[in-house]
Amino acid sequence: MTPQGLAIAMAVVLLVAVVLLLRSYVLPEKYAVIWIAASAAAIVLSGWPGLLDRVSQFFGISEPINLLFVGTFFVILLLLMQVSLELARTRDELRKIVQRLALDIQSKNKE
Amino acid sequence: MRVLVAVPAFNEEAAIGDSLDALASFHALSDVVVVDDGSADSTATIARARGATVISHAINLGVGAAMGTAFKYAVAHQYDAVVQFDGDGQHRAEHLRDLVSALPNADIVIGSRYSEGGQFPASAARRGVQRVISWAVSAYTRTPLTDATSGFRIAGPRALEVFAAHYPVEWLGDTVESVVIASRHGLVIREIPVNMNERAGGVPSQSISRATLYTGRILFILLLAGIRSAPPQLRALKRRTLSEETS
Repeated sequence: MTPQGLAIAMAVVLLVAVVLLLRSYVLPEKYAVIWIAASAAAIVLSGWPGLLDRVSQFFGISEPINLLFVGTFFVILLLLMQVSLELARTRDELRKIVQRLALDIQSKNKE
Repeated sequence: MRVLVAVPAFNEEAAIGDSLDALASFHALSDVVVVDDGSADSTATIARARGATVISHAINLGVGAAMGTAFKYAVAHQYDAVVQFDGDGQHRAEHLRDLVSALPNADIVIGSRYSEGGQFPASAARRGVQRVISWAVSAYTRTPLTDATSGFRIAGPRALEVFAAHYPVEWLGDTVESVVIASRHGLVIREIPVNMNERAGGVPSQSISRATLYTGRILFILLLAGIRSAPPQLRALKRRTLSEETS
């Protein structure tokens, strides 16, 4: 098997996993869009390596693989940041709900 | 037939009082439930003062979740049908009767702004978008529908059971995806023409990028609906109904 074949196979596995998770209502649509985009990009880049060469030439990067690493690193950072923000929001909502529940239980016990 | 009118409301203190007053001349407010979706203003207080039942979400969850709560409330209190009526003054109470009287021939009746006889001030761009959406939705559900994004609708007993088990919560899912889910469940969907007012509060979305996002989102919902299996809750519901029929 060629390295390119391996890369394409991995990208396809990613896409199939995303579609299956989406299909079974496990992965919400809100997060699915970014994963579909990521797996589509992975398929395009592994299927057409010339694209990477051209883009790195445009940016003046001599080793195309470095562009891939930098780009992937940046995208993963953005994804992590999104997860942090979502976690913060969820914790905040959880706090509000617990406080509200506690107040409701207290007023019910007093009756 | 016991009909519940459900009013999803998020920070609607400017319009909710007038909406409920308009509703009161066509429907007893004791059979109206206002789902206050985590409002920070006095929406709940105003609604309670008018005599409606108020259910308050502790946090804002969106229209879909508010309607989900209303459907669960309706099933728990033995209602036969639920009308969705927005609290922002867009829907007209006089059409309530039309929705209820169209119900015997369908499981869901949608009040359409665009079907023959309906009136709504809309720009050319908005009508174009609407045409694309209605074509796609009609093709999917195999029912001619002109206004799948209309929130003014009634759900009958069979639809109620389905929606109490599962109602879509994501943006635009409450209107478009609920139609798709209903049609996959074999429910009959119909449309009647209604007139609507321009929203009392809120800015109508007119920009091109906004319209593109809106259309894209709806086409994405329909695409997903094509590959999706039924949600686990609905599969369980279907199994229950089947075993009841055979036993």
